[in-house]
Parts: sequence; C-alpha cells; structure tokens
Amino acid sequence: MASKTFDKETILDLTVNMVPLVIILFFVVGFAVFNPFGVDTLTSGLQFSIMVAAFVLLAALTYLSGKAIAGSEKTDVVYPPGQATVPGVKPLHEEHAEAEAELDESGDGDAVEAAEGTA
Amino acid sequence: MEVNGQLALTVLMGIFLIAVAAWLARVEDWRSYTPLAGGGAVGSTEQYVSEEKPSGVIRWLTTVDHKDIGILYGAYGLIAFAVGGLMVVVMRLELADPASTLISNTFYNSLLTSHGITMLFLFGTPIIAAFSNYFIPLLIGADDMAFPRINAIAFWLLPPAALLIWAGFFPIPDVIPAQTAWTMYTPLSAGAGSGNQMNAGVDLMLLGLHLSGVSATMGAINFIATIFTERNEKVTWANLDIFSWTILTQSGLILFAFPLLGSAILMLLLDRNFGTMFFAVDGGAILWQHLFWFFGHPEVYILVLPPMGIVSLVLPRFAGRRLFGFKFVVYSTLAIGVLSFGVWAHHMFATGIDPRLRASFMAVSLAIAIPSAVKTFNWITTMWNGKIRLTTPMLFCIGFVSNFIIGGVTGVFLASIPVDLVLHDTYYVVGHFHYIVMGAIAFAGFAGIYYWFPLYTGRMYQVTLGKWHFWLSMVGTNLTFFVMVLLGYGGMPRRYATYLPQFATLHQIATVGALILLAGQIIFVWNFVQSWLEGPKVEDGDPWDLADDDLLTSEWHWFDRKLQTAVADGGEEEAELATDGGERIDDSQSSSDVSSDGGEPVDETDVASDE
Repeated sequence: MASKTFDKETILDLTVNMVPLVIILFFVVGFAVFNPFGVDTLTSGLQFSIMVAAFVLLAALTYLSGKAIAGSEKTDVVYPPGQATVPGVKPLHEEHAEAEAELDESGDGDAVEAAEGTA
Repeated sequence: MEVNGQLALTVLMGIFLIAVAAWLARVEDWRSYTPLAGGGAVGSTEQYVSEEKPSGVIRWLTTVDHKDIGILYGAYGLIAFAVGGLMVVVMRLELADPASTLISNTFYNSLLTSHGITMLFLFGTPIIAAFSNYFIPLLIGADDMAFPRINAIAFWLLPPAALLIWAGFFPIPDVIPAQTAWTMYTPLSAGAGSGNQMNAGVDLMLLGLHLSGVSATMGAINFIATIFTERNEKVTWANLDIFSWTILTQSGLILFAFPLLGSAILMLLLDRNFGTMFFAVDGGAILWQHLFWFFGHPEVYILVLPPMGIVSLVLPRFAGRRLFGFKFVVYSTLAIGVLSFGVWAHHMFATGIDPRLRASFMAVSLAIAIPSAVKTFNWITTMWNGKIRLTTPMLFCIGFVSNFIIGGVTGVFLASIPVDLVLHDTYYVVGHFHYIVMGAIAFAGFAGIYYWFPLYTGRMYQVTLGKWHFWLSMVGTNLTFFVMVLLGYGGMPRRYATYLPQFATLHQIATVGALILLAGQIIFVWNFVQSWLEGPKVEDGDPWDLADDDLLTSEWHWFDRKLQTAVADGGEEEAELATDGGERIDDSQSSSDVSSDGGEPVDETDVASDE
C-alpha cells in the first residue's frame, strides 16, 4: 500500500525536501568524521541532537504530508488547487485526458508535456 | 451604611448601563441587516430584517463574521503600520545628521523599540490575520471559522495590547517608553544597572506583548481547526490552495513559538517585579537569548510564510498559468516550518556559545535556505514565458520576488559563522531583514490588498495611484535598505542614534529613501480610503478575468454569487462602473469613475485618477 501511495511522481515531488535533508546529513557525517573543536559529551551530544532532531522531524513531516496528499490524490477527485468549489472547473484527470486526446489527434508530443507541466 | 452606599452605586450603574444599551438600540438599527449567499452581507437598508447582525458601529463591536473580523484586523494592521512607519520616519530624520539633533538619544531608543514591536506584532501578524480571516473560509468552502467567537476574542485582545505597548508614549505620569529594543535582552530589560528600564513602561510593554501572543495563539488554534475540519468535501489535501497551506503551517509555528514567548515574558516580569532570579544569575543573559530566539526565529517564518502564500496565489493569476511546481511549494513550506525551530542560535553566533553548537545551527540555517530558494525559482518559472499582466498586485508580487532574493541572499551569508562574526550587530543585518520585512512581507501584503480590493470593498482602486505607490515603494525600499547593507560593510553598528561623520552620506541616502517610502504610503492611504468610499463599483464577479485562463478561485466565485444575489438598494441609478480587468472602457465615463488594471492597453484618459 505504501509503495502504491509513494509512486514515482510523489517521490519526485518530495525531492524538494530531500535536498535540505542531505545538507543536514552532510554536516552530521562531516562533524562525526572531522570535528575541529574536539568532542565533549554534553556539547557534542547537543550539537548532534539539534541536527538529528531537525533531520528526523523534517523527514517525518515530509512523509506524513506526502502520504496525506498522495493518499487523497488516489482516493478523491483532484481539482486545481483553490478551485474545487468553482462550478465548471474540470478535475485534473479530465484535463489530462483531454490533453492526451489532443495529442492523439495531432500526434504532437509537446502538448501532453505542456499540459502536465501546468498541472 | 457602607453596604447600602455600595448597593445604591451598583443600582445606579445598572440603570446607567441599561440606559446606554437602550440609547444604542435607538441609535443603531438592530434589525437592518441583509444576509446574502455564502454568509455575505450588504447594506443597512431598513426594509430588510434579519436578527443575525446589527448595522453601524454595533456591527463591528459585536461581529463574529470572519469577513468582518478580517476587515477589523486589516484596519488595525494598517493603523499600526502607519504608527510604526511614522516612528521610523522620525528616526531616519534624526539619522540624517551624525549628531543627536532632532530628538534625544533616549527617545530614539524608545522609537527604535516601539517601531520593531509595532511592525512585527501589531502590523505583521494582524495584517496576515486580516487576509486569512477573510479568505481562508472562502477558499476552503467553509461557512465561517471553526470557532467564530474565539475569533472575535482573539481580535479584541489586540487593541488593549497596542495601548499597553505604546503606553510609555502617552502622557501618563512617571511612565516612560521601553528602550529595550524588540529583543528585550537581559539584563537591560530586567531593569538592572543604573538605567531607567525598571520603569513601569517596560512592564506595560511586556504585558501588551503577552496579550498579543495570546491573541495570535487563539487565532492559530482556530485556523488549524478550521482547515482540518471545516473544508468543503471537495477540498482535499490534494487540492488545498497554497495560501491555506501557508496559514496552516504558520499556525503550527505560532502554536509552538508564542507560548514560549509568553513564558519567557512572564519570567522576565517575575524577575522585574517579584524578585526572582531567572535572568540575573550566571548564564541568565544567554538563557533569555535562547528562550527569546527559540520564539524569535520561527516568528520570522510566521511573518513570511503567509505572504509567500499570497504571492504564490496571486502571481500565477497574472502570469496566465498555474503555479509551477505547486507541490514543491507546499512541501518546501512545511520544510521551512520544521527547520525554523532548529536555527534560533544563529542569532547568537557572537555571544560566545560553544563552537560545536554554533556549527550545528549553521548547518540547519544553510539547509533552510533551500526551501526558500525553491519557492523563488517556482515563482520565476511561473512567470517565464507566461502571459504577464503588469497590474498593481502583480507589480507588488514581482517586487516581492526581487526584494526577497536580495534579502534571502544576504541572509545566507549571515548563516555562515565567520561572515556573521564580522557583520553581526551592523547595519548589514538591518538591511538584510528589512529587505524581508518591508521589501517582501509588506509588498505581499500590498499585493493582497490590491488583488482583493474589489472583493472586500465592491469597488476598484485608482490604478495610476496604485502604480505610483508601487514604484515609490520599490525605489524607496531599495534605496534605504541597500544603503544599509553598504553601511554594514563599512562597520556601522546598528541601534545607535549618533554615528561617525564618515557614514553621513550613506545615512542621508537612506533617509531620502525612507521619505520616498513615506510619499508612496501617503499615496496608498489616499487611494485606499478614497477608492473605498468613492471608487467605481465592480459589477463583475471576476474583475481580473481569471476565468479566461481557468484560474478563477473559490473566493471570487463567492464574490460573484454575492453580486448576483445582491438585493436592489432602491433602484438608484449607478453611474460608476468598473471594468473587469483590462477591457476597454467607455470613453463617455468621467475619468475618476473608471478603472482598469488588467494590463491590456487602456487610454491614458481612462485610467487617470482624480489627482
């Protein structure tokens, strides 16, 4: 189930938060390997706990929010953001279907890419 | 005998109150309110009876309608902006000359303290609450906030908060304004030493600040409950608009940050008045800084996330396409929310805290730059090859992006410990954060004010004046605050009323920039007030032609329904008509009665203002 929720597109969306996670991880590893100010139980413990706490909390929130958003994409009709209650606004999957139909008619690959880019 | 006297006084007071209530009931027409679709309301025409809400002043004092409360927050925020702005104008005039000439050094310190607190707590947070109160329920399809009465209470805590914060400036005997700066560092703020900060003015300011924190926390709980539980069934996490996402994140930050500020303030008040020693013992000064900045840095994001949401919502509407990488913006908003609690000690790099601790805060501070930069690239990419319409709100959005880049990049350098140690406590820092608070946050606020002006006033603003406002603000902001960056490079320390003559030229340029900003804001006030009272009426529910690009959002749909269901007001002929965002205007109309800000060519005469 989890693997279905976190499909390729969702993971791609989540990469935006993976960059700060990697930066924090870089410093965690960096300071573990080479700590120019030496190691002291209390301060080094605080040093790593600040970075690790930020890492864990960000990872957890990213996971939970990704799960909530991707989960609701799977189970509910998805409209453009902020436009769900506007009459006449088509769900995104209908927009995609129309774009694909246009592609079939014209044979132009750019049309679908353009439509997906704006979705 | 004494008891009888008290009883008589109580009865008299009761009679007096009843008399006041009766008088108000006669003056105000309590049965004159017409509710419309979606909870909207118009007019005070006597023919229409409703028990929901009275009209006139009583309406504003008793309202629990989220839109009314939004307008109250907006009025409050703008008044505070004017007060805080005028304070800094006096300061900048003083700084036009190296010596202390116009005002005393202590009065300068008072203005500096009040300017900061007013702009952050009495303008920044409330103006965001204005937008969120008015628009979140409309955007998510809710009838109102989850707790309408708590919403009203949260607002009504703010006026007394302002009075307490400004109490030192009022002619009250023996009460002087606080001179602690907005950071209220101990031991100065604890009243230690031979200064005058043991004065009651500081206590009143702290109490006012505490009250504003209670207000913000109540509002935050309300928004979290509203967004989680009151959404229309069609509004899911997958299609929640970006402004609601930013308000949700901001509310989460408020929930964790403001109670801590409240606790720290109480500790400080106890130190000042009840002989406790929280901040008087060894390490007390550092303790205050830790407590303050654990609140203070999330506060920065509390103030900047919703404006980012406004820009993310408004900017695509005038670029003719949806926001590029919408989910990137959502996830990066959440990332900023979490990481903002792991960076507080970058304000304390120069205090001598353990270098290992500094290093970890530097790491997280550098990491938090990424989600902010992601948003910037998304805004730029949204505009790239877009169908740009340079309306006033769009100009303010572009100004926001531009200023945010400068403010952000200067901030990244400050996240680096060695650079910070050189630039700490210089004007560089002042320039950096003013690019964010004025150049970005206030600009986004103006973008929102202009974008939704037709919705909450039913009228259109004067376009030419709007553009004057933008350009004067843009020039003034960059002139004032870029010069401050240069002053910081030169080593000019912040917070001083006087300075060495070598800094005079740059300070004078900054003062000129501040006066340009002042001119822009005077134009804004004129435009805002006059257009609200006399501007051309908007008759189209989609004044920005958003439907043409399939970009019409829920609040405009609500506005359209409101216009369509409006009850006739007696058949008066309407001479004033506003166009709906770019269509050509009938030349026969008078120049003051027409408007168009849609970016399509419009004759000069059509858009000319009264001025």
